[in-house]
Amino acid sequence: MSVLLKLTNVAVFVGDTCLLEPISLELKQGQPLTILGQTGSGKSLLAQAIMGLLPDTLSFQGDIEVFGKALTLEQRQALWGRDLVMLPQEPWHALDPLMKGINQVAEVYQHVQGKSQNDAQASAQQDLLDVGLADSAHKRPGQLSGGMAQRLAISAATAGGAHVILADEPTKGLDVSRRDGIVRLLQSRSIEGSLLTITHDVAIARQLGGSLLVMKQGRLVEQGDALDVLTNPQNHYTRELIAAEPKSWPDVSVALANKTTETVLVAENLAIERGGRTLFENVSFSINKGEVVGVVGDSGCGKSSLGDALLGLLPVSAGLVTRSNHTAKPYQWLKLYQDPPSAFTSSVSLGTLLKDLVDLHNIAQERIVPLMTRLNLPESILQRTCLDVSGGELQRFAILRALLLDPVFLFADEPTSRLDPITAKDVTNLLVELARETGCAVLMVSHDPDLVRKTCDTVITL
Amino acid sequence: MKAMLLKRVLQLVTVVWGVGTLTFILMRSLPGDMAYRIAASRYGQDNVNSEAAALVRQELNLDQGAFAAYWHWLLDLLQFNLGHSLVSGLPVIDAIQHMLGHSLLLALAGLLVSILIAVPVGLFCAWRGNPLDSIFMGLSSMIRAMPVFVLGVLFILLFALHWNWFPVAGFGTPAHLVLPALTLALSLAAVSNRVVRDSAKHTFQAAFYQFSKVKGLSAWQTFRRHGVRNIAVPVVAFFGIQLVSMIEGIVMIESLFSWPGIGHGLAHAIFARDIPVIQGAALVMGVLFVALNTLVDMLCLWIDPRGVREA
Repeated sequence: MSVLLKLTNVAVFVGDTCLLEPISLELKQGQPLTILGQTGSGKSLLAQAIMGLLPDTLSFQGDIEVFGKALTLEQRQALWGRDLVMLPQEPWHALDPLMKGINQVAEVYQHVQGKSQNDAQASAQQDLLDVGLADSAHKRPGQLSGGMAQRLAISAATAGGAHVILADEPTKGLDVSRRDGIVRLLQSRSIEGSLLTITHDVAIARQLGGSLLVMKQGRLVEQGDALDVLTNPQNHYTRELIAAEPKSWPDVSVALANKTTETVLVAENLAIERGGRTLFENVSFSINKGEVVGVVGDSGCGKSSLGDALLGLLPVSAGLVTRSNHTAKPYQWLKLYQDPPSAFTSSVSLGTLLKDLVDLHNIAQERIVPLMTRLNLPESILQRTCLDVSGGELQRFAILRALLLDPVFLFADEPTSRLDPITAKDVTNLLVELARETGCAVLMVSHDPDLVRKTCDTVITL
Repeated sequence: MKAMLLKRVLQLVTVVWGVGTLTFILMRSLPGDMAYRIAASRYGQDNVNSEAAALVRQELNLDQGAFAAYWHWLLDLLQFNLGHSLVSGLPVIDAIQHMLGHSLLLALAGLLVSILIAVPVGLFCAWRGNPLDSIFMGLSSMIRAMPVFVLGVLFILLFALHWNWFPVAGFGTPAHLVLPALTLALSLAAVSNRVVRDSAKHTFQAAFYQFSKVKGLSAWQTFRRHGVRNIAVPVVAFFGIQLVSMIEGIVMIESLFSWPGIGHGLAHAIFARDIPVIQGAALVMGVLFVALNTLVDMLCLWIDPRGVREA
């Protein structure tokens, strides 16, 4: 079994600060290697260092051998596409927004493989057929779903003939059903070479098999055969990661203090249309005070639209939404957004944002500190802007902002899909706990059926 | 596309009517006796007396009520008849054709030269970064901060008077076009090179740009296939805005270089109270405004078809 990629004591620095502590690894032919760890643990830097894509502000040390030879940065860059390729994290951003999908694959055949234009188009057409994108070949990336865009990106990346594939969070933000397909596609594409995957998703590590490295904050904490490590984790951190998978969360406790039969909202025979297409129809349910209702379904099935419609942000094409609580102010029907940084302005500090809210609604000052303690938010974050805090902290701050208004209904739109699993677990638990305590009804949308099953009282499947 | 064009045609009609009516009202409300001003333009300031003015008044039927005059104008317009100059008696359409031709020539030459300057400079700044970038930033700000006629006077002093390379002013030969076009181009490029630079920098840093190289395409192939078009999106829109706003902004340069353009002509017509010429010029400029905007929009749509539902 030949070694395709060998790293010896590779470390990444910014100035004198070490972002990635020295790590050594071998990627062998036919044996996938997975690096598992939380966001910010320096995993992505490793892939960038291997490719030779580190930003100028970062420096790296150590030796990188590709195909048994120590190569310089330029030599590694010369391998791009033909021998070595890296898949992007966010396929939407990695595809040219103005170019039709098929051309982004065909150009690789034409310019990298040297095929004629017609042959290149034919090969690209065949590739897209193989990954189930034949009908969308002439669409632009903006018209594709996340899963489709990732399949297109994989086709484009591997068209040049590279069999050593580095995949950095290849399934970020994808539904579970799409995730498995992407992993299988990656496996088949790397069959003649090998696959180095970087992920925070334990399920992917399990599915890929091979060997596994677990990293925490730039340091290797555990390594070995993937199945061994995952079934019998030695390190505390590995265990924590595995426990953070929604699948292994404890089941929802039915003994709930504040759960009443008081209805907050009733939806009858709802139907929603977007862009001339009916997303769903005849959906009826009611939500009680303090109840957590989950919504699951594939991407594009209208989960988020349902929540927006309940809040009156989107029109319904048929049916009726009745709010039973007539004393609640409009601002007590709230939404928690999927991508925390885009729900905050970065031009003022979080403290200013909080103060504006307190002033506007005459919120009692003494409520803030206990709630912040409860949400595990240090006072120091109030001096910072939304760009200088972690995603988890920001989402907890968003929850703080929402709860201070005593919401009667909160629509949480994939509140943790952009957070890494350990943080996601904390945030979800806190949200559910606090909602139950305060009697706020929650509609939780998620692409992860396990997460919904483990946290919600009732589940709506679209 | 069809809907857009239809909307633009409607817009055109509204613009023509609005601009025409507004100039009519404004010209009517200017102080001074119109007959005297027209007679002065015809026969010279020294030869005007009340007799000449009365003659002009009678000949041009200036005593008719405002509504009647407006009505006549509107009827003529519906027959695409812009009337005759009150001063020279020649058809307005001929005068405008002549002026507009020169203005468009200057505007297009200026824009072309500005593109030839802005695009390479902007791309180079984005590619090379500092210190080159900062130098051009300073230079651009300096040129932009100067009124355009200062730049023009500087060029005249340098290229026409000191070195005698090009004529000071006037028109007729290609050499006459050089200085006004260059002045115009530099003042335009001072802004547009920054737009090119920002757009290029944005594109070079984009994930898709890097991914294209990771796919195996060379730097040049990546630039050609993914750079040019993506950089062009905001740049073309901006050049379009510049072209459109030039129609009104060109007056200064035309006056400085005695270029017989429409801005220059319009200013003279206002002094002479030559209402048909003023109305005609304003109308044609309004039409040009809508037409160029439509053209630019169509070009932008062709480069970036996102947002339109594709069949």
